[in-house]
Amino acid sequence: MSTVEIQQQRALELPATLGGGPGWLHRIRQSSLAVYNSTPLPRRGLHLWRYTDPSGFVVDDVDPAEIVFGSDQAAIDDEMVGQIAAGHLDGAVVDLGGRRICHHTSQRLAAMGGVVAPLSAALKSHEDLVKKHLYGLVHEQIGVFEALNGALWENGVFVYIPSDTIVDKPIHLRREAGAGRSRQFFRLLVIAGENSDVSIIDEYNGGPDDISKSGYSNSGVEIFAGHGSKIRYVPIGRQASGMTSYLTHRARLGRDAVMQTIPLAFGAALSKQNFGVLLSGPGARSEIYGLVFGSGRQRFDNHTLHHHISGQTGSNIDFKVVLRDRTESAYTGLIRIEQGAPGCEAYQENRNLLLNPGAKVETIPELEILNEDVMCTHGATVGSFDEEMVFYLTSRGLTYSDAVRTIVSGFVASTLKMVPENLHERIGAFVEKRLEGI
Amino acid sequence: MPGFVRVAGIDDVPMGAFRAVDVGFDRVLIVHTDQGFFAVADECSHDSGVISEGELVGHDVVCPRHGARFDVRTGAVTAPPAVAPIETYEVKVDGNDIFVRLD
Amino acid sequence: MAESIDKQKRDLAALGTDYETKYGFRDPVDYFHKGARGLSHEVVEMISRMKKEPLWMTERRHEALDIFYSKPMPKWGNTGLLGEIDFDNIYYFMKPVEHQGKSWDDVPDYIKKTFDRLGIPEAEKTFLGGVSAQYESEVVYHSLREDLSKQGIIFLDMDAALREHEDLVKKFFGTVVPSADNKFAALNTAAWSGGSFIYVPPGVDVKVPLQAYFRINAENMGQFERTLIIADKGSRVHYIEGCTAPVYSTDSLHAAVVELIALEGSYVRYTTIQNWARNIYNLVTKRSTAHKNATVEWVDGNLGSRLTMKYPCIQLVGEGARGEILSVAFAGQDQHQDAGAKVIHAAPNTSSRITSKSISKDNGRASYRGLAKVHKNAVNVKISVECDALLIGKDARSDTYPTMEIDNEQVRVEHEARVSKVAEEQLFYLTSRGLSQDEARLLIVNGFMEPFTKELPLEYAVELNRLIQLEMEGSIG
Repeated sequence: MSTVEIQQQRALELPATLGGGPGWLHRIRQSSLAVYNSTPLPRRGLHLWRYTDPSGFVVDDVDPAEIVFGSDQAAIDDEMVGQIAAGHLDGAVVDLGGRRICHHTSQRLAAMGGVVAPLSAALKSHEDLVKKHLYGLVHEQIGVFEALNGALWENGVFVYIPSDTIVDKPIHLRREAGAGRSRQFFRLLVIAGENSDVSIIDEYNGGPDDISKSGYSNSGVEIFAGHGSKIRYVPIGRQASGMTSYLTHRARLGRDAVMQTIPLAFGAALSKQNFGVLLSGPGARSEIYGLVFGSGRQRFDNHTLHHHISGQTGSNIDFKVVLRDRTESAYTGLIRIEQGAPGCEAYQENRNLLLNPGAKVETIPELEILNEDVMCTHGATVGSFDEEMVFYLTSRGLTYSDAVRTIVSGFVASTLKMVPENLHERIGAFVEKRLEGI
Repeated sequence: MPGFVRVAGIDDVPMGAFRAVDVGFDRVLIVHTDQGFFAVADECSHDSGVISEGELVGHDVVCPRHGARFDVRTGAVTAPPAVAPIETYEVKVDGNDIFVRLD
Repeated sequence: MAESIDKQKRDLAALGTDYETKYGFRDPVDYFHKGARGLSHEVVEMISRMKKEPLWMTERRHEALDIFYSKPMPKWGNTGLLGEIDFDNIYYFMKPVEHQGKSWDDVPDYIKKTFDRLGIPEAEKTFLGGVSAQYESEVVYHSLREDLSKQGIIFLDMDAALREHEDLVKKFFGTVVPSADNKFAALNTAAWSGGSFIYVPPGVDVKVPLQAYFRINAENMGQFERTLIIADKGSRVHYIEGCTAPVYSTDSLHAAVVELIALEGSYVRYTTIQNWARNIYNLVTKRSTAHKNATVEWVDGNLGSRLTMKYPCIQLVGEGARGEILSVAFAGQDQHQDAGAKVIHAAPNTSSRITSKSISKDNGRASYRGLAKVHKNAVNVKISVECDALLIGKDARSDTYPTMEIDNEQVRVEHEARVSKVAEEQLFYLTSRGLSQDEARLLIVNGFMEPFTKELPLEYAVELNRLIQLEMEGSIG
């Protein structure tokens, strides 16, 4: 008995609510939807999809129903406003399901000409800028699910930092997914002018606790870093345990631009993230410090891309994975150095710490080097904690559980240090929670 | 029955056939042979792909991609290129329903 | 045994009685001269009958051919070059003993030049150039055979092994690489001819490395070699195949299969140095199974060919098994060495190490494709992988695609890769001591390959060094 694979034809239609906006946007939405409907799902043979079933990310119908949110929007809003007032943040956004967006800018940032606004507003106030950049990096040609996002996002977030503007404190985005069965599409467009300096925290929360309630979110993030700019982007995944989450991120760095991306993934039942940085000007530099910390039954699938298009560029990836209970992590990382890009340096390290039987890891760090003038190394390790170290600690009075916690804390410490100061306490608390019961 | 989940009706899996069922995070293959009902993980230990697109020969499920075979009663490998067994699950039949015990 | 002889007699008797109806001509030799190319069930039947094979092997071939037809070409790897293979334009049938119409003039110049530079003796030249069919070393080979058979060691070509040791072959053939494993394994199983068969009885230590070189003839250097090596409990053996001198053949597709079974407590080392001519597609499936406390070592050197795809694999299925893979690839102008290593741990307390070194020069491309897989029940496993790639020239390319699939937390898995060009400081140091740029670069390359060359028997190491020298000088081709 063998079954024939039937590719179900998807037949989504653009809902009326997305009919508004400029003609060019509408055309791109239509085109993206057509790509989503007609492109077959990626096969397992493609290494990006080797370990995760793509059917988990398919959307069969567009749900126009009102989304119910478990968290209190007003309370989050107040908290954000309070943080700005206290000078801890220079901007904040509370984004409910990619539909209702409350945005706040500090006086300081506003005075410098910085913009933190919903994309719907930016389409009017900064149409040229948006038109020039939106879909420039994350678009239908990247893949089926990017096409889906390109068609169905309702309202996204727009951040614009003018040239020579140094934004002192971070801009914090709080995205909330619906509590029950819901689908949301998030979008972020960041344009950082020449020599600007900004940190953006992009936190994903909410969703149902029960996997059968099937919460779903699909996010597209585009960051354009102008010459000489310095950007720090911190996406944090804290979705509830019934959530399926998909995220594609692309950043393009101009000459001498420096970027730090710090993806922290704690949440969702199934989370697939694809981070890519294109180094397209000499002197550009990208660093990715990733942390995945799973517990219960979760599946994480992460991809990083460092694409050296221009010579004299440098990159570094330090991707850490800690898994307990029956969590699984797949990591694929590609460093590609083009033929016309001499003088590059690229490093990558993926370290996986498994805390108990039942955890499972797949890691494929890849290199495609087309130019001899490079210095490139990568490494991956998989293992459990060092029993000798545990013995050392317990013989000094710690309980076994405390010893393991100390070791894990030590393992993740260098990554957590890169996180903006205002988050240190909260992230520390997330990690503590994950370590409970060890 | 604590820990047991209903996965199919006995009419859903005729003799000599099998059926793949998604149960939460797990994907289980329910198999019906002349020795009764059995359940194995629908994942080939060779390439981690699904076995359910293959066929049943006697008590062996045959993976369609490279021909690996597993005995559904024990999960043991009966033909290469697989070298490790697949997981089996305890099965109980109650009336017209098939139950499988998951961790 | 008696039953199979009877069967063979029956087959033999039947042979020739239906040729006219079945194949439209009276004499199989006729078929030869028709110069038929391409593969089909008729050709497979012909091959099997000409070899007088037992029925189970004939059926195996037919079944494999159907699998070959049903499998698509791989969608990974150098799909561009793979797409150029024309399966219908190949001689699958045994070629006539004398290559018809071939002369020394037909051998490409760059091959002749290499022979001269490497100091290859005359008789070898004509053989390696594909001009003569037999290598004149029968005498050496025969005396070796006598020594071996006294110890109960079997070392034959595959065809003879199937005839003389059918039960042994039947027990192990296809148990490590089944026909459905991949398209080229299926092709090989359908059309295989030649290759080596080695069986080492329990406890026997084969002191002298067994070399395929000594009993080569045109058939055994064939395109679809099938090699099967069985080391019984506690035995030790080292097998060497290939040679550093370039091997020229008009047959551009070589799809070999090597199966290696190391039973409990045995030790097997398999050394390959292959230097195919630049028109050849060399696609090999090499896999071994290491049982309890057994050790398998692959030492694999890849030079030449247009495209080589080869990933020696060790399946550690018994507790305490150990594996080591040492691989070197040199990709020169227009070449793609797509090599790698696979280790699959399916038993506890096992360890393996992979060391891969590659050099890409001019517009050559060297890829490392590897797999380190640890199954759930394989606790206390240690794996270390080290890949080093050297790029010479601005058009050179290097890829590394290592995969690790770890289903068990009681492991230590480490992977490390480095890609770089010849270090400026090193060059400067050497040239400032009087060496020319070329000499300095050569010294660095030799140093880079040292972990590999030191594992080779001396004469191979010497020849390999000379060959690298030629490649570096760019005086070939």
